[in-house]
Amino acid sequence: PSHSYTGQGGQESEDYESEEQLQHRILTAALEFVPEHGWTAEAIAEGAKTLGLSVAAAGLFHSDGSELILHFVSECNTKLSELLEKEQKLVQLGEAQKKPIDEFLRHAVEARLRMLIPYIEKWPQALSVLLLPRNIPSSLSLLTSMIDDIWHYAGDQSTDFNWYTRRAVLTGIYNTTELVMMQDSSPGFEDTWRFLENRVADAMTMSNTASQVQSTGEAVVQGLMGAAVTVSNAESSRAVT
Amino acid sequence: SPTGARPVRGGGAPLRREAINRPVIERIIRVDHAGEYGANRIYAGQMAVLGRSGVGPVIQQMWNQEKDHLKKFNELMVAYRVRPTVLLPFWNIAGFVLGAGSALLGKKGAMACTVAVEESISEHYNNQIRTLIEEDPEKYKELLQVIKQFRDEEQEHHDIGLEHDAEATPAYSVLKTAIQLGCKAAIFLSERI
Repeated sequence: PSHSYTGQGGQESEDYESEEQLQHRILTAALEFVPEHGWTAEAIAEGAKTLGLSVAAAGLFHSDGSELILHFVSECNTKLSELLEKEQKLVQLGEAQKKPIDEFLRHAVEARLRMLIPYIEKWPQALSVLLLPRNIPSSLSLLTSMIDDIWHYAGDQSTDFNWYTRRAVLTGIYNTTELVMMQDSSPGFEDTWRFLENRVADAMTMSNTASQVQSTGEAVVQGLMGAAVTVSNAESSRAVT
Repeated sequence: SPTGARPVRGGGAPLRREAINRPVIERIIRVDHAGEYGANRIYAGQMAVLGRSGVGPVIQQMWNQEKDHLKKFNELMVAYRVRPTVLLPFWNIAGFVLGAGSALLGKKGAMACTVAVEESISEHYNNQIRTLIEEDPEKYKELLQVIKQFRDEEQEHHDIGLEHDAEATPAYSVLKTAIQLGCKAAIFLSERI
């Protein structure tokens, strides 16, 4: 519920800010302190202090940092969408080349995962909080809308079951790459990006194989039908003579 | 938020970034897409059995119109970024089986099936038209136009079915009721999952 600070006659004052906007500002300010304090009330308290608010403002939030983590994920997703939207505009204006699908997916997932780098030490903790039953609806919804966004900008126009397979596959790629990244100590996370490249290549192969299997299956069915018609024609002509 | 401004794809898509009632619109497009997909499969099933009979051309013509309807909803689905129903593979088979099964009862059976399904679809489209008009007829003008046109064409199919002796099918009212119950269930499920 948002508290509106209205003056007389229902006019809203210049400094009108809803509770939601205030919480948003506090959480954004708190992110700076996460590398040091983790996703905790301490980080939120420090963030509140930088805004000139009392540390008691941390009491507005859960002690396990749920809102802070969800806020961070939501902000990252928004940044990713904005990035992809900007790049799409460049392609539409002819100022950039359209990437092939595998390269696009790699680029989008890598861009999104790179946003974790400043917080990577504390990210495993965040992942476990996101998996709390209480948070699963929100974290799942954030994940699915991010994956859907990536496919949208990749140019996916499927309106059949492929819509689901593609998103499921990309979700798998994203999650596994994220886990690899948590344990990656190579310079510049190059092991992670190589892992990502391989997973995306696997997915492309799988989809090519799937369509080849389907074509082969259809061809086989056609062949069998043709054979059946031939046999029945032969039988009926034999019966006549 | 329910009136989220998700970017809408497509040159000239009139509702680009405008706040639309996403839950309502998504439901409408998802279920209509599923319905046209199912209708396509039903006619495909009927053609598989009755394609070479005297009534074949009539069914083919109705099928062609359903193909156009499906094409339109495919476009709308992409433009509004709506998820298709997860039951599509099921409607694929169920629709074909219903079409072929009703056609195996003969030409009248196929026409009875058509009458039942098209009546359900017309009623369903009318409900949606009412909903959209209650929401905001100006904002949803394009969608309303499409649904009204399709409703009229489905009504035509219904009438064609009647003209071709649908009501003379043995156990017509039982068949019709059963099919329409199935349609109601399909609509309920496809709106939600």
